[in-house]
Amino acid sequence: MSLIELSDYCLNATGSGNGLKNFYFTLSDGDICSIQTDSSDDAHNFLKALATLVYPVNGAYRFLGEAVNFSDYRELLPIKKKIGYIGQDSAMISNRTVRENMLLMRYYFENSLSLVLDENASKFCKMFNLQDKLDLRPGDLRSVDLRIAIAIRELTKSIDVLLLDRPEDYFGYNRFALFKEIIRDIIESGPAVVFFSHDLNFIETFSNMKILIKDGTLTKVF
Amino acid sequence: MLSLTQKLVKRGRFAKASVNNGLLSTLMYQIAGYIGRQTLRSANHLLNLFAFTYRIFMLIFKRPATGRALVRRIALEQIYYTCVQALPIIIPIALIIGSILIIQFTKISEQYDLGKTTVLLIVRELGPIITAFLVILRSATAVTIEIGYMNVLHETEAIEMAGIDPMLITCLPRLVGITSAVLCLFVVFDLASIIGGYAMVWTITHISMGNFLGQIGKAITGADIAVGIVKAIFFGIIITVTSLNHGYRIKKQITDIPVGTSRAAIECVVYCLVSNIIISAIFYM
Repeated sequence: MSLIELSDYCLNATGSGNGLKNFYFTLSDGDICSIQTDSSDDAHNFLKALATLVYPVNGAYRFLGEAVNFSDYRELLPIKKKIGYIGQDSAMISNRTVRENMLLMRYYFENSLSLVLDENASKFCKMFNLQDKLDLRPGDLRSVDLRIAIAIRELTKSIDVLLLDRPEDYFGYNRFALFKEIIRDIIESGPAVVFFSHDLNFIETFSNMKILIKDGTLTKVF
Repeated sequence: MLSLTQKLVKRGRFAKASVNNGLLSTLMYQIAGYIGRQTLRSANHLLNLFAFTYRIFMLIFKRPATGRALVRRIALEQIYYTCVQALPIIIPIALIIGSILIIQFTKISEQYDLGKTTVLLIVRELGPIITAFLVILRSATAVTIEIGYMNVLHETEAIEMAGIDPMLITCLPRLVGITSAVLCLFVVFDLASIIGGYAMVWTITHISMGNFLGQIGKAITGADIAVGIVKAIFFGIIITVTSLNHGYRIKKQITDIPVGTSRAAIECVVYCLVSNIIISAIFYM
């Protein structure tokens, strides 16, 4: 069964993109899909559509075989919970500390405020030298640290699908190698990944499926 | 067409009756159309506000099992920001207003019951409305700005991506927090303004203290307290819902935030004044 299946899907254009017209896309467990495109806005739009952050003009979105109802945003929440989205517009809540942001989901679902970061999150924070900055507000962090904190929050979610938008820009040159190590481990644990990257080495290393978005159409390359 | 009509009307050049009638009827259509559109827009906005209020209240009645600790904490933070941090502002204002009113009342104390006049003005009318204005100035604007920023900077999306309903952790705690804060501040305002008046009576007038407090004690009724509580609750709900609604209407442009904030503040003031009249009319007429 497909994790995500988009059929007859149509997306409005954003920025300098062309939008996407009546395309079909399917993503299964273990798929590592890279996006090639003539417009980064279209790739960004497509990733946001997969995250159900952008609503379609028409078409059907199926998650684990079940049709998704876009008429009520609350019905999208269980799907969003299963998707990790690391994009240029990912954010943290600015009036909470970085630690609280990382724990927000657990605060809510475990219904407790006396929680500590799990082992993975602590390990990643240590790797990226964030452990001293966890009690700062997001606005007090350098932008690269903030992006890494967001990435850690998303990577430590229990996800079925991971969406990455230009990870090489997101993490910066110095820390991209570290991120690749992490992503390698995450891929081994099973979630499907869809990413848009300009880094050929990253694409060749990880992707086992490619899609091309050009002039508003989406085609599978192999 | 309208500009031509306006020019002709301004210059008073109506050579032919038919032209005159045609232009005037066009002008009337334009005016009627404008009034109609504005009325529909206002009605639509009010219905949106009611629907939004309904949505928030449904969250209270549904009481989802998850997230209660988080919602409780945010509500307590909101009470702290709106009520506790407002005390150094509201107490001096209440003392000043109470003092001013008592000074004026003492001049007419021979003709009217001082306690009754104090209760009539401070407890029934000024207390709730000045408290509401202060909360609008401090907290309603802050809430609209905060929610507006959260939308523009994709923070609301971040909450959704965690699988959490943003309304549950942004709207519900603010409704509870601000409404409780308005209620508490209203009590503080009434007490402070009466104490301010008490101080004034003590220092500069010939009216005995016991007489003054006795008059207030006699004048205040259960209905006055009930009306104060009802007003405070209504004002709290109106302020929260209006400010949140305007915050959520801001989608992408950061320049929409000041516009939305200003509209939210003005609407809060108008709705509070109107509901004040309605509640007073219901209870006292």
